[in-house]
Amino acid sequence: MNSKMIKRHAKITIFMHWFNTFCWFFLLATGLGLIRNDDLQLTGGWWSNLMVSLFGSAETLLLVHEIVGLVWAGAFMVFLVFGFRKYVLPFLRQIFTYSPSRDLKWLIKKNIQMTLGYKWLKRLGFTPDIPEQGFYNVGQKLFAVVSVLGGIVIVVTGLIMFLSNILIDNTAIVQWAILIHFVTVGLVIGGLLIHIYMAAISPDERPAFFSMFTGTVPEDYAEHHHKLWYDEVKTAERKAHSA
Amino acid sequence: MMKKQLAMVIDSSSCIDCKACMTACKVENQVSAGNWRNWIKVQDADFAQSGRPEGADSMHFQPGNCMHCDNPTCVQACPTSATYKDEKDGTVKVNENLCIGCGSCIPACPYGARYRRPDKKIVDKCDFCEHRRQRGDLPACVTTCPTKARTFGDLNDPDSDVARLLKRNKTMRVINPESDTRPNIYYMSMTAPLNWPVKAEIPTPIQLWKFVNPLVWGFVGLNALGVLAMLGKQLLVKDEPPVSVHEEKKEDAHE
Ligand code: HEM
Repeated sequence: MNSKMIKRHAKITIFMHWFNTFCWFFLLATGLGLIRNDDLQLTGGWWSNLMVSLFGSAETLLLVHEIVGLVWAGAFMVFLVFGFRKYVLPFLRQIFTYSPSRDLKWLIKKNIQMTLGYKWLKRLGFTPDIPEQGFYNVGQKLFAVVSVLGGIVIVVTGLIMFLSNILIDNTAIVQWAILIHFVTVGLVIGGLLIHIYMAAISPDERPAFFSMFTGTVPEDYAEHHHKLWYDEVKTAERKAHSA
Repeated sequence: MMKKQLAMVIDSSSCIDCKACMTACKVENQVSAGNWRNWIKVQDADFAQSGRPEGADSMHFQPGNCMHCDNPTCVQACPTSATYKDEKDGTVKVNENLCIGCGSCIPACPYGARYRRPDKKIVDKCDFCEHRRQRGDLPACVTTCPTKARTFGDLNDPDSDVARLLKRNKTMRVINPESDTRPNIYYMSMTAPLNWPVKAEIPTPIQLWKFVNPLVWGFVGLNALGVLAMLGKQLLVKDEPPVSVHEEKKEDAHE
């Protein structure tokens, strides 16, 4: 088998991904701890009690949540400005480009294969081949869209709450921001569960997991999982050779 | 020992509407211009009323402030729990450092006891003069009242003035019948006006939050079930792609 490595992720993207992951886990843990209203508890409030005692007081918990949130948003602003043409724009182009019939087929078949297996794919009347995908597959693209748009909404609503007792006089805006912040986090977390399973637990995607540290994937993995991207890379290579 | 429940018993018939309590409070707590932590409600005499129900033919003054309710709708409305019922003394408090000034609690108070400070943009209201109590003094409005209309103390201490007044007199609470918050200000015998507390209104986004909370967790739970299904299949089912897939791939590669 061919195990030559090809480049998949730049160092800065790898850094931003793990920085983002750290911020998300931290903000999620502290943010859930901030929800202390009795009517919003599912588990009798033990999580918020744990977080409050871990940070000393509810005020400190709120403060660190705000600081890490601002640092997170600030770092992405810097990345957005300085890496726009080189990293952000190509990424956005990737994740917003869909090929409806192929991607829909992928979604249906991959879901059946991941949960029930190839046998059921056949039993349900599908052919066992799963449509070829580009740099990201549809699942990845959809999660990326959810986390990018969700991230924007979370930052904007978070800023509104942060600025509420500094700049804002219209309290209705703040009240809606609280609700939207919460719901959006819920939507991203739903996707995140699948993302973490696919990226870190499913054996099929192990090489992609390593690539989030090393930046490279083996060619045969690329060919098998991201055929359209692999072909592009090969064509580019061939052109570079003949030039 | 029972927990403390600080409370007021007010004899509104001795109130002369001199507004000394309002002024004292305003100065003591540096209440911002245009806002008040306490009030005196006025019922005008109505000589035209037929049958003249008791009290209708004379003016009546009714002092009040935050009622530190046992069923505080403001606490239920607060998304950050900055507003809370203090277990130690039974007062309803606002934690300045947790309040983000979203104003959700303001319409949730039937008595209009809360306002948003224009300077700090956070919510403020009567705290039974906590800083005065800490040094052993009574709330400013109680000390200052020339007719001693306001009595203050611990309801659960049988030797306190409020407990004794409550035991010896017929008292009533001023509530909105649609949202009884079980206030801790008691009025001695007939007081008026009675129809002014509004219905407690929790703002729509906060009510919606309580409604969507289980839906959001349900959505997250469904995704978790999906992950479990994939994990179960990964661990329990031996799942190889049929050989034909590989063969097709090879044919592709030869093209
Ligand atoms: C334990 C936590 C996480 C692990 C193990 C993980 C792992 C990975 C890996 C291995 C990739 C590369 C996939 C590839 O090259 O094909 C990736 C991509 C990505 N990750 Fe994560 N990640 C985690 C947390 C997060 C979080 C918290 C977010 C955002 C909320 C996130 C957003 C993304 C996005 C948008 C991509 C690119 C597109 C995609 O794969 O969907 N990740 N992640």
